[in-house]
Amino acid sequence: MQRSQQDPALSGNGKMLAVIVDQRGRPTVQLRDLQNGKILPLRHFSRHQPHSSPSLSWNGRYLAAITQRGDRRLTIIEDRLTGRVHPLPLPGGRAPVRLSLAPDARQLALQVAYQGHWRIEVFDLSQILEPDPSSRLRRSISSTEMGS
Amino acid sequence: MKDLQLLSLPTGLMPLLLCFGLAACGREVMRPMQDLNSSLLQSASSRREPAFGRRWLASLSNYQGREKIELLDLRSRRPVPLPGLNRPDSHPISVSVSANGERLALVRQRGDQTELLLYQRSLGTVQRLELSAKGIPRKVSLDGFGRLLAVQVSRDGRWDVDLIRLSS
Repeated sequence: MQRSQQDPALSGNGKMLAVIVDQRGRPTVQLRDLQNGKILPLRHFSRHQPHSSPSLSWNGRYLAAITQRGDRRLTIIEDRLTGRVHPLPLPGGRAPVRLSLAPDARQLALQVAYQGHWRIEVFDLSQILEPDPSSRLRRSISSTEMGS
Repeated sequence: MKDLQLLSLPTGLMPLLLCFGLAACGREVMRPMQDLNSSLLQSASSRREPAFGRRWLASLSNYQGREKIELLDLRSRRPVPLPGLNRPDSHPISVSVSANGERLALVRQRGDQTELLLYQRSLGTVQRLELSAKGIPRKVSLDGFGRLLAVQVSRDGRWDVDLIRLSS
């Protein structure tokens, strides 16, 4: 692996790894295929640095991270299947600090500052994103997992 | 006059109007899960470092000035017991959970030691994990199966990411 890397995030299936690397002094999300070691292209993470707190869905279809837009921190999710980007501003103009995307991409948990304390808020994404994986594949994965 | 009418609307309608306005402008709006967020807000004085499993949410939660690792069952919206994990002489730094909530990877500070650990919930065991080369762990990410761990490590004055394959 290369120079300074931070904030690792594995996809649910363990086949991809997102990290924050230093690109010309700008913390930038990088996605790597762990099966062949290749860096995977991202359409919407070449600017709006610094990036932080990447998180991947089960198959790595969705990559969520916090980006910078002007003087605001903004959560965006890239759909690697369709190439679409989903900017997700927080209600009330608040700033996300850390995030976690649910493995099926139906929910997003955000750490925010609230009245001087850290707080976690969970948001429903089911009206915005398709699930990852599809329900058929999800049943197949469930049967191979350890029992809960 | 219209401005006055808008200002006199019940406060509960304002977020709805805001959402409608943003949707009309083509922006997608995340829907807060109000019941879950209320219980998260009320159950701890602060909460940080969220980490999702399929129906689990792990976090570092502050109770009466002391931070501990908490695993919330999103179906019941209640924390599940984690016997043997949270110690009074340690301070958690990072946590990650497998999809089925069985395994938690964590970094914690205990005295002058920064420990990288794997907790297995059904067994109630805490296993110390060793890095392949000397370094100080900082952040963890576990894959959904709980078999692969990515760790951010401070080593020789820079940040690395180590991958550790865990036994099934």
